Amino acid sequence: MGKAELEECSLSLDEKLVRFMDQLELLEEKRASLNSLIEQGWFSISKARYSMGNKQVSALQYASEIEPLVCVHARTLDNGEVDFCTERVKQLCRNEPGKNAIEDIGPQEEGVRRRIKPKKDIAEKEASEEASGEDAAEVTPVRKSDHNPQQDPLKWFGILLPQSLKQAQSSFKQVIELSAEIATLQSAVLSTRQELKHSMKHKLILQEAQSDKEED
Amino acid sequence: MAGRGKLIAVIGDEDTCTGFLLGGVGELNKNRKPNFLVVEKDTSVTEIEETFKSFLSRNDIGIILINQFIAEMIRHAIDAHMQSIPAVLEIPSKEHPYDASKDSILRRAKGMFSAEDFR
Repeated sequence: MGKAELEECSLSLDEKLVRFMDQLELLEEKRASLNSLIEQGWFSISKARYSMGNKQVSALQYASEIEPLVCVHARTLDNGEVDFCTERVKQLCRNEPGKNAIEDIGPQEEGVRRRIKPKKDIAEKEASEEASGEDAAEVTPVRKSDHNPQQDPLKWFGILLPQSLKQAQSSFKQVIELSAEIATLQSAVLSTRQELKHSMKHKLILQEAQSDKEED
Repeated sequence: MAGRGKLIAVIGDEDTCTGFLLGGVGELNKNRKPNFLVVEKDTSVTEIEETFKSFLSRNDIGIILINQFIAEMIRHAIDAHMQSIPAVLEIPSKEHPYDASKDSILRRAKGMFSAEDFR
């Protein structure tokens, strides 16, 4: 009975060790892909910087308000491992003008646009402003709060962008997906490591018990 | 908020942060602190460590990406982090390629093995 239990423990240990090695190998492969993609991304950023100028592709261009476009969901499994998966947040536009609206490129004017009127007295001007306020429905007020913080980060760097900057974005998007996979694998590696540790301790206990029995 | 996923935080040099922000991980608004730190030549180790610890204490961050050369500066803080969430991933930088022997996770995974274990 003791020998059978020891053999079963050894087999379980072997299976866990093989699983551990497989996980390490997969982790190394994914790491190599991640590193390669990151380097690709940097190279593309450098190319974009070369064509646009140093300061045009730098931290100075970051928006003052940024909303995340990708999030990660962490799910803890029964064995203590954590599974990470990314999700791209659908880019929302707070004031969607409509499906057929023409996109307005360029700086937006703030406040209500006043119609050109002949010069009047101040009192008359105020009276006319009230009247024009009622008619302002014809002119759409564009406020700063309408600025969409969830816009594509590419837009921080300008309008006419080199292809290299878009390539950089594409590379880093793949890096983000891979990062979640690597985080999951790291969690699996550490969990398998713990299991191996416990199994080894258990095996040692069984071996000691077996040797005590044989001595008796 | 309950259904909302967690954020990916970044501690890295300018190019690394720019790249990941282009990918869409960044968050910055008036109410909350940013989920990224651009490490420059004059950024102190204290600031890096405080930022790392603040990311660890936030419950809305799932993964922390950090350049390995920056991780080396605060290795003691990274080694002390034993929880699964947030996961800490060390990534290479332009001047410092990735070295698996320095990675905290892989060192923990390797460290268990000794000659006795293979009897």
